[in-house]
Amino acid sequence: MVAVFPFLWMVLSSFKTNREILLTVPPTFLPAAFYTGGYLKVLFDAPFFRWMLNSLFIGVTTTAAVVFTSALVGYIYAKFQFFGKRTSFAIILLTLMIPFEVIMIPEFLIVSGLGLLNSLSGIIVPSLVSAFGIFMCRQFCESVPGELLDAGRIDGASELGIFLRIIVPEITPAMSALTIFTFMGSWNNYVWPLIVINDQVKMPVSLAISYFNGAHMVHPSYVMAAAVLIVLPVLAVYLVFQRQFVEGLALSGIK
Amino acid sequence: MSGGVARRGVRWGGRQRFVLFSLLPVFLLLAVFVVLPIVFSVVVSLFNYNPLSHSPPFVGLQNYRNLFSDGVFLRSISNTFLFVAVSVAANLLLATLVALAIDLVPRQGPKGLFRTVFFLPTTANIAAIAIVWGYMLNPRFGIVAGLFSILGVNLQLNWLGDQKLVMASIVTLNLWQDIGYNIIIVLAGLESIPRMFYESALVEGANRVRVFFGITLPLLARTMLFVSVMTIISYFQVFTPVMVLTRGGPNHASELLGVSIYLNAFQFSRLGYASGMAVILMALLLVLSLAQMKLFKPKWDY
Repeated sequence: MVAVFPFLWMVLSSFKTNREILLTVPPTFLPAAFYTGGYLKVLFDAPFFRWMLNSLFIGVTTTAAVVFTSALVGYIYAKFQFFGKRTSFAIILLTLMIPFEVIMIPEFLIVSGLGLLNSLSGIIVPSLVSAFGIFMCRQFCESVPGELLDAGRIDGASELGIFLRIIVPEITPAMSALTIFTFMGSWNNYVWPLIVINDQVKMPVSLAISYFNGAHMVHPSYVMAAAVLIVLPVLAVYLVFQRQFVEGLALSGIK
Repeated sequence: MSGGVARRGVRWGGRQRFVLFSLLPVFLLLAVFVVLPIVFSVVVSLFNYNPLSHSPPFVGLQNYRNLFSDGVFLRSISNTFLFVAVSVAANLLLATLVALAIDLVPRQGPKGLFRTVFFLPTTANIAAIAIVWGYMLNPRFGIVAGLFSILGVNLQLNWLGDQKLVMASIVTLNLWQDIGYNIIIVLAGLESIPRMFYESALVEGANRVRVFFGITLPLLARTMLFVSVMTIISYFQVFTPVMVLTRGGPNHASELLGVSIYLNAFQFSRLGYASGMAVILMALLLVLSLAQMKLFKPKWDY
């Protein structure tokens, strides 16, 4: 009940007019009339589709890169010996302990130095690799039997071929869990886009919501409609793939 | 035979090339965007860095000296530690209780439904849902005040505008949003305990409380350690709900370190000063993780 209530209230409020939200004291649950002006305003008087596309683009590229690099590097850490393996892995683990706020200022200076400020690349490029993803994939790759890889080598497969045709199918559960978490993390990220992006048209949806929630807070109807449009797609995806969500999360906790 | 050896030699070369070419770009990205910034933040904190000036003056430890006499910074440190301590404790306690309750539900029953519902809030965009909460908590037209008045209690509490209440509101909102993760992980830990253990304990006449403290909790130790470490790290980074709803106010009562660092760096253009804050936070976390590792070390081994 407590978990669901804010969602319910958000949807109900999004069909109320500004006046109804602000002036009905005490508030009622159901809207007096079914008002869709908030949605029309959000969808057609603001570059909302553009913001959705921005978020989608950032999410898809980041997720694809993170899942690929994590699986590859996780596999290498699990199955290969190379110079500096222990030290470099310790460093990767250590970076997991560093909160983002500690590095956000130098990160800003570096991204600014690379000329990536106020661009979608500025959001994407720093998060192409994930220490957590590498760690998680390594855990899963370790349980893949070495004989399977040797068999592939005897068959004359290339190293990349072994990775793609033997390792990837074996660690698919880990990769789908990582896909879900990376995409959600990217979709919900707020602080980094807030630092990098200035232009309204380049904003992802997390920033867009504050566009409707300006300094004067007089358009709650638009805000609620925008919130519904941002929150519900992810919710729908979750409801469809909830088994993968829950199992993936459980796996990452147990391993 | 000799052809085989030569081929093997080529394969080894192939393996090394594969390792090298895979690791190189990843290490480069990690170095530039993760490792370098850690070092760089210490360097920036020694300068009076301001994005407008081209040659920032070196000020040595002056930023740190100023920080330790900056009441707002000290307050944001105590806010952060209070926030993390209260939220993590509440999170672990609640997550364990809810997971235990869900675990009692038979698998054929609505177990999956409970799991789904409790995980629901974690999927919500934090910025968007925080704003929704902001409206819910509004003292005049918010539904929370409305619910209280239906119950006949006329509390005109200003959940986000009152210095004494704002932290509790942020803790609650954050827990609501994020506890689903830990419920799922603890539940998975519970489900991985063989039922056999419980049955034999019950045969020997142990009651539920004894079973929990004697069997469940020790077998859950590894899961709990993982969950608590991850939760502590993530709660030190809580930023969005505060930034969206209060920007640290009123009167810095909800100013967490992340918000403080952001405001100083990007609103007041004091990058060197804010980097000093980041370095102090990093040092505090380092001490904390070392202590944590020392404390929990024996439990990892069994």
